[in-house]
Amino acid sequence: MKKWVLPITIVCMISGLLLSLQLRAQSTIVSNPISERNQALIEIINKLENETDVIQSQISKIREEIETIEERKSYGQEDIIQLQNKVQKARKEAGLIPLKGPGLVIILDDNKAGLQAAQNDDPNRYIIHYENILNVISELKLAKVEAISINGQRIVTSSEIRCVGNVILVNTTRLAPPFEIKAIGNPSFLEDILLSGEFELLKNLGFPVSYTKHTSEDPIEIPAYAGSFQFKYIKSD
Amino acid sequence: MWLPILGLLFGAIIGSTISFQIPVIYVKYMSVAVLASLDSVFGGVKAVLEDKFDSTILLTGFFTNTLLAALLAYLGDRLGVDLHMAAVFAFGVRLFQNLADIRHHLLGKTLKNYDAHKRIS
Repeated sequence: MKKWVLPITIVCMISGLLLSLQLRAQSTIVSNPISERNQALIEIINKLENETDVIQSQISKIREEIETIEERKSYGQEDIIQLQNKVQKARKEAGLIPLKGPGLVIILDDNKAGLQAAQNDDPNRYIIHYENILNVISELKLAKVEAISINGQRIVTSSEIRCVGNVILVNTTRLAPPFEIKAIGNPSFLEDILLSGEFELLKNLGFPVSYTKHTSEDPIEIPAYAGSFQFKYIKSD
Repeated sequence: MWLPILGLLFGAIIGSTISFQIPVIYVKYMSVAVLASLDSVFGGVKAVLEDKFDSTILLTGFFTNTLLAALLAYLGDRLGVDLHMAAVFAFGVRLFQNLADIRHHLLGKTLKNYDAHKRIS
């Protein structure tokens, strides 16, 4: 072997090592770590949402089981039937039962046409924010609304309405526009308050908002709350 | 003759199989180091062809050039001077010079063989 072979081989080997390391590092830069991280986060969110769906279906199944067990036990016993009626009423008030009744169906949507017309303007001025929904709901509550749902999510005592990035969270479920708010109550009361508040404001700003009145012959259906209530800290005397 | 090329391939395979990855912030300095090491390799080949090969010169040149290139690029970033570009330029020019010299030598050798062959026949 000539004297130059070994040193050059060593140098070549180290060069090859550096070269391949560098190539790998460079290719990860091209593939953009931030978007990869986002991709991973999106996958995590999707997985968790699937899990939530499974757990919610379990909750509703268990609730049905509880109901059947209660009915079976109470056969012929007056006290228990009374108690059951109380439980049923409490369930209705807590939002655990799907309901029907007269009221309003309100649709709030982003002002896409307005944004198209004024593309240099701040896009925040053309989308429905969670505050808008909160205001509408507060006003409906003022008009003695009895049950509310937003895009199929029943509003109960623990429901949040919160902005997360470009979606709105209700019952930890992501909602996107258009937002369909169903409200059961006295339709004319609800309409009166609606037309003197946030809804009218949005309409004047050019948002494509609308509502339809439903009577008791043509009732609105509102689904039950699919999640569970967790009470860890409260105590009643 | 083939051992250096095998070495290069072997190094590349090790580099692509180990899980170690260069942190993104050092990739820039690493690129200069890679250029310097390639320059050393071609410099070594050229020296062999010119019969001026000295293993001490090659090995010391390889390590000091590679490390100094990376260090200078890093220092340049600290100082706000693009020494990184200077290193790329210097090593790039030398790389092409070495390649050209190697080509000339190889061509010269084969041409000599060609001439000798003609004379014999």
